Amino acid sequence: MIVPLLASVIVGGAIITPVVIVLLRSLTTGKLGASVGFTVANYLRVFGDRDILPMLNNSILYAAGSAALGTGLGALLAWIVARTNTPGKALVELMPLYPILMPPIMKNIAWILLLAPKSGILNNLLQEYFGVETLIFNAFSMAGMVWVFGLACVPLGYLFLLPVFLSFDPSLEESAYIAGSRPVHTTLRITFPLAVPAFLSALVLNFLRGLRSFETPVLQGTPGNINVFVSRVYDSMALEFNTGLATAYSVVLVVLSVITLIFYVRATRFSERYATITGKGYRVKVLDIGAWKYVTFLAVFLYFLAGIAIPFVVLIVVSMIPYFDYETFMKFPSNMVLSNYTKVMRHPSFVTGLYNSLILSIIIALTTVLAGIVMAFTIYRTKTYGTKIFEFIGTLPLAFPPLVLSVGLVIVFLGTPLYNSLWALGLGLFVAYFPYAFRNASGSIVNIHKELDEAAWVHGAKWRHVFFQITLPILKPSVGGALFYIFIEAIRNVDVAVLLTSPGHEYGPVTLFEYFRVGQWAEAAAGGVIYLIILIVAVSVAKFAFNLKFSL
Amino acid sequence: MTKRIGTVIGIVILATLFLWRGGQGAEKSTKDAAPKAAATNATTNAAKAFDTVSKELYPKAKQEGNLIIYSVWDVEHLRGVSDAFMKRYPGIKVTYWQGRNPEIVTRVLTEFQGGQSSVDVILSDNAPPVIRAAGGIMPYETVQKSVLVLHDPTLPTVSLQIQALSYNTKKIKPAELPKSWEDVANPKFKGMVALDDPMRAGPLSSMLAGLKGQWKNDTRFNNFLKGLKALNVPVHKSTSAMFRLVIAGEYAICMPALLHDVFEEKGKGTPVDYVQTVPPIVFPRQAGIYAKAPNPNTAKLFAEWAISTEGQQVIDSLGRESARNDFKSKTSIESAFPKGTKPVPVTDKLFLEDPKKWLDTYVKPIWEG
Repeated sequence: MIVPLLASVIVGGAIITPVVIVLLRSLTTGKLGASVGFTVANYLRVFGDRDILPMLNNSILYAAGSAALGTGLGALLAWIVARTNTPGKALVELMPLYPILMPPIMKNIAWILLLAPKSGILNNLLQEYFGVETLIFNAFSMAGMVWVFGLACVPLGYLFLLPVFLSFDPSLEESAYIAGSRPVHTTLRITFPLAVPAFLSALVLNFLRGLRSFETPVLQGTPGNINVFVSRVYDSMALEFNTGLATAYSVVLVVLSVITLIFYVRATRFSERYATITGKGYRVKVLDIGAWKYVTFLAVFLYFLAGIAIPFVVLIVVSMIPYFDYETFMKFPSNMVLSNYTKVMRHPSFVTGLYNSLILSIIIALTTVLAGIVMAFTIYRTKTYGTKIFEFIGTLPLAFPPLVLSVGLVIVFLGTPLYNSLWALGLGLFVAYFPYAFRNASGSIVNIHKELDEAAWVHGAKWRHVFFQITLPILKPSVGGALFYIFIEAIRNVDVAVLLTSPGHEYGPVTLFEYFRVGQWAEAAAGGVIYLIILIVAVSVAKFAFNLKFSL
Repeated sequence: MTKRIGTVIGIVILATLFLWRGGQGAEKSTKDAAPKAAATNATTNAAKAFDTVSKELYPKAKQEGNLIIYSVWDVEHLRGVSDAFMKRYPGIKVTYWQGRNPEIVTRVLTEFQGGQSSVDVILSDNAPPVIRAAGGIMPYETVQKSVLVLHDPTLPTVSLQIQALSYNTKKIKPAELPKSWEDVANPKFKGMVALDDPMRAGPLSSMLAGLKGQWKNDTRFNNFLKGLKALNVPVHKSTSAMFRLVIAGEYAICMPALLHDVFEEKGKGTPVDYVQTVPPIVFPRQAGIYAKAPNPNTAKLFAEWAISTEGQQVIDSLGRESARNDFKSKTSIESAFPKGTKPVPVTDKLFLEDPKKWLDTYVKPIWEG
């Protein structure tokens, strides 16, 4: 047992170091560059900030709304795909997968163009074809923000819940059927409650992502006069260049994260109650939902439309017209131009950046997922006292806005040979994405009944036998999903990578997504379309030519 | 006789008039010639000074062999400038890292505190003065200062950020446009204007700092700010996103836009233009030399080359505004604005070095009060 514990301590140490460094910075007096001494002035400013409560209120509303919408929809899609006889199986399996490939910032831009009050495509369509003068849609509202970020939260919910619905002890549901329960009741009272740990895991992650997300609040919230808490963190960096103050503000997010995690740990404290994979074997029982199967197909198709098809079409058109306004948009394709594509293809870092990001993302996905499982195994399968602390350590990086976290990482690497190398970038991305791998593993491992391990222990197995021959093979579906998700997230990361890239070491997304950052939306759309096409082809080839499952 | 006298008088009057006008013309041409000659002298002297300093720095720079730039400029622009510099000075390799201003400041100052010699030149607008205030800049005064629109004795200005009042030509008629920056605060523009967030270190706050410095009238400044506040219009933290929404037709007036963006979009046939009668706000884009630069001679050579006519041609070809007052291009103030337009420079030291403090002192009490 010492090996997984030691591995968890090392991984935990690697994760906690930049976090501790930024926390220490919050106790320093000066701004960057000035001489520093210890003080609590930053905290006094944070707690004396009279705007903090309305901002927190907005943040919680936005994060909770998005997390609930995204995780709920993701769970529903996972259930439809895994447990129902919805027609068009191959299509239904693929449709929830493609929206994962679309970066949230692309969705932001596309939905702003669709939902903007005066210039948005939807309001103008309603006005032109139905004579509706009232501005129905408003991208710059809380509802608009929740809709757009909620859509970005669906993939996590889907990938976390799918393995749970795919690996069920049939006796649990069969008992209900024998007792006379109908399929709908069995689903509501047996199936869904058993998925609670994975659901809460995804909900917690999505909630924390919402709390620290910046792009949607900046692009959609600020024009609607909706200010969220994290903008205070960014203002401290962008206006005052004061990482200490930014970290002190981030500590509020840490407190909220800890409260959320305590809620999660308490909700899942009797982990054996949620074990769906037991020694009695498991298989998937597909429910015949009758005519409802067409409704479920429609639900998946609607998500596919909202999650990728509609925004993707908008971006394709925007990338091929001289400029965006409703009139020019509607003239497409008579006004088609391809100059944005030639510009993007000539981007100085397009090829080298893409190569570096591809290699790094594969490595990051593999290492974070393996380390995440080891840590979850240490918490839930070794009976070592105090390992629950890893539950917090493993999730902590998620509580910090990326720019704050990356300052901690820069300080860690500064002065070492790792600084300004791809190694530093790789380790930084490891810290940033470990929480996703860990939460996924911890949610899944809870679903495996301890009796499987105990049977092995009784027969004298060592930890490595239990880990590699029992836990890891059973976790295979969720491992696939986590690998896929982290790879996709890492290959498009900008926030953490930006401070860790160095002259001469380009990282694809940082340069490619620069178009989004500087507001060149047409070029950004062209870059995004190229990027999405590459990923869609890769996923489709992997799915059909090599029969890769992506946890399906 | 009378006729003759009349003819003589007429000739005398005409001759007098001719001589008077000729003299006046000569006086005028002498008056015009003086600044022209001075400008020509400044150009010649700057060229000579550049030639001398270039010959002096290049051998040392060649020995150093590298130049590392951190910049807020687009990667394509960085590549354009780097390639031209490497072609002009063989034996020097240029690498760069691109980030936003807060990222540049954070990275440079964290490296500075850590004693890291990681960068030579910080090529940006807002970042260099902030880094200088924290001690992270090696002071360097360009030898070509006489030709610069905005000169800073410790930070070479290589380009200008010019802000203009931009509008969507489909959404507002020229006759209805605001005639000045102050006119934007007129209640009739409510619902038409998009404002950059005045409480962040962005174009609108730079504009406010520039106008405050020029007006030197607190009441006028406060009334202007109160007027903007009373419009109760959306504010944006992303100037570029705001500009896109103006192009899309969400708003009619963009307060403010960057002139090079307006020109680029106009070139594509986008329905945007700018109000020429509203004086432009000019903000320096500088090539600050890092205090612990590993290649200081190359950094100085780069700054001088960027200010030289050669360097300015490269910068202008990328669509960025020239820093020189003797360089004519479509985005130079003389070409883009009516003759005699006086630009509003942003030179407030407090704003440049500690924008938060400046905003807290002059803007926050009115904007958030």
